[in-house]
Amino acid sequence: MKKLWKLAATAAAASLLVAACGGSDSASDTTQAPAEGADVKVAVVYLGVPDDKGWTYQHEQGILQLEQELGVEVKRVENVPEGAESEATFEALAAEGYQLIFATSFGYGAPMAKVAVNHPDVCFQWATGAKFLLTKAGGGEFADFDALPTNLGTYFGAAEEARYLSGIAAGKATKNNKIGYVAAFPIPEVLRGINAFTLGARSVNPDATVQVTWTKTWFDPTIEKQAAESLLDAGVDVMAQHQDTTEPGLAADAKGAKWVGYNSDVKEAAPKAWLTAPTWNWGPFYTKTAQAVAGGTCPTDEYYGNMQDGMVTLASFGESVDAETQSLIEEKKAATIAGEFAPFTGPINKQDGSAWLADGEKAELGFLLGEMLFFVEGVVGSAKG
Amino acid sequence: MPAPFRIVFEQRAETPKYLSALVPLISVLAALVAGALFLTATGYSATDTYKNMLDDGFLTYRGITETLGLSTVLICTGIAAAFSFQMNLYNIGGEGQLYLGMIGGAWAGLALGPHLPSFVMIPLVLIIGSFAGAVWIFVPAFVRARLGTSEIVTTLLLTYVASSLLKHFINTPDSFFRAKNVAFPQGRNVADSAALSPIGDTRLYPTFFVVVALALFLYWLVKKTEFGYRIQVIADSPRAAHYAGVSANRTTMSVMLLSGALAGLGGATLIVGPFARLDQGITLLGYGYAGIVVAALARNNFAGIIVSGILFAGLRVGGEKLQISTDTPKHIGVMMQGAILLFALGGEAFRRYKIRAVRMKAVAQ
Repeated sequence: MKKLWKLAATAAAASLLVAACGGSDSASDTTQAPAEGADVKVAVVYLGVPDDKGWTYQHEQGILQLEQELGVEVKRVENVPEGAESEATFEALAAEGYQLIFATSFGYGAPMAKVAVNHPDVCFQWATGAKFLLTKAGGGEFADFDALPTNLGTYFGAAEEARYLSGIAAGKATKNNKIGYVAAFPIPEVLRGINAFTLGARSVNPDATVQVTWTKTWFDPTIEKQAAESLLDAGVDVMAQHQDTTEPGLAADAKGAKWVGYNSDVKEAAPKAWLTAPTWNWGPFYTKTAQAVAGGTCPTDEYYGNMQDGMVTLASFGESVDAETQSLIEEKKAATIAGEFAPFTGPINKQDGSAWLADGEKAELGFLLGEMLFFVEGVVGSAKG
Repeated sequence: MPAPFRIVFEQRAETPKYLSALVPLISVLAALVAGALFLTATGYSATDTYKNMLDDGFLTYRGITETLGLSTVLICTGIAAAFSFQMNLYNIGGEGQLYLGMIGGAWAGLALGPHLPSFVMIPLVLIIGSFAGAVWIFVPAFVRARLGTSEIVTTLLLTYVASSLLKHFINTPDSFFRAKNVAFPQGRNVADSAALSPIGDTRLYPTFFVVVALALFLYWLVKKTEFGYRIQVIADSPRAAHYAGVSANRTTMSVMLLSGALAGLGGATLIVGPFARLDQGITLLGYGYAGIVVAALARNNFAGIIVSGILFAGLRVGGEKLQISTDTPKHIGVMMQGAILLFALGGEAFRRYKIRAVRMKAVAQ
């Protein structure tokens, strides 16, 4: 009987909670009206917070640009973990009447696609995604491409173009030909970056090698720093990174080494060490997509930007990058934008010295996106992580 | 000048029934008031926040189904924690046993799923997941029973090992659990026969009813059977139990193994339910740790855990939606959960002790 009382008490507590809150209905209607002249309700979902000075920060800059150009107020949802539980967030946003939802991390793809099926009127955009991964063949839940929701697009860009250019700066800067690279996960996106960077470095310095350390995390200041320090102890004098924070750069700066950053132009974090960085410019894509949705169309392409359309950019140069190197990089950059140069153009050998691309042969985009799971010649370390 | 009064706590011989009912009520109310003060001080509207949390957690169709769906795993980890707590054994590694339940369940769903029909597979995934949870607590249970090693330390530390194991199975190239032909490391979906369909267009799975029935069964087991009686005797006085011929070692082993199995079952419900594969995201959600809170709120009463599990799930679902339905940060929801727990546990003091102010003079004489 005593236990039953406890049960009753707990139930009563719950109903009190209901009663206590139910009484406050009157003051309730909080739905904020969107800014004057807005004709589209946009939301963006972030893995972290907008002031991380890296990946999310750069997306926030794009969202700010969208807000300014279209005069709308965008709903930010922060700190949403990837995976199955993010489904509730997308479902809630769709139910609240948001017409366009940007999801800025890879792990949101499958849950978002599920929600997209139930909300055909809402336009969903998946950053760094690939529709193949939603099909059965790619490990997803949809039978094939035809079964995919027709209100879902993906967007990403050819960071490898800017990686190659930043590699030139690194190849010129190294004195002992040892470059370090702190990398997140052994997946094609990251391997593409390392390989393009290495090709760039060796195009101006054939003796340079790039030593890779894996962290298995996108964002972890402590682990990123430790990984950079272990590379510096091994004697590298230039540091590159595929990570979200500035820690590898700060570690390099402390040892007097040079630094190629990523995501954002944060030269001021370590002006002495700074060479340059591959960076992102999401603003034009965000603005364009919101305009299309306002006009009644949901873009469902697998959008792959590059330096030509400006989604991928190169940050400003540091003070130690000399005029000759700068003009060399500017020259290659112009050729890239003009479509006359692509980083993965043969002859290129794999890490073990075997041939990959013959002279003049170009790698196909599909291969680069899904199947580049190896290193090119000049990289030190294991491509399996 | 010394204070004229002194506060004295006197243990109650028996708790009046009205207090058992009143204390949780007042605790929750006090937490809401404290939360309202905080919200107002930081410039948010308390009424809007509470109304939205309530609507999104309990009152809308979407909200209540989400809440019951989430409560499934929280009730599992809650009864897992309570099952050991009631014998003064502190298994706080439910989080790790939950990961093992996912690993075991996913293994069954991947290896056996393609060969067996659904009505065999679903129970099998749940059983193998529970078994994996029990395996994970075996060593802590054994050294606790035989050597008296603190199970608090061993079960907690094994949680970190379980987390690494889970990540290893997802990240290792060519891992059995990893999706093939997919560049990014992620778990492979279990066979269709090992995955339940949710009820209607919700995210509530039939496993909810299984878990509720299980909690009620445990309630009966502990109250009405000899096994339950043994647990109570050992909890009250291990020495007396020893003289009465009750083997504390064996009961310790079985209680801890069952506790681990129940947490493992929680992981397996995620496999037949919303996850359907190994997912690294689970390590950010803390369902196992939440079970400790759920058990504490219900004072280890298994029927009460059904209520506290649903209450806690609702707070979480409502809290998660705060930053969508209002501009309130989601950490407010997390803070409210913490406040309710603190006040509810603090309220225990009023239930167990009579609190009186005593004149100093009277004490001195």
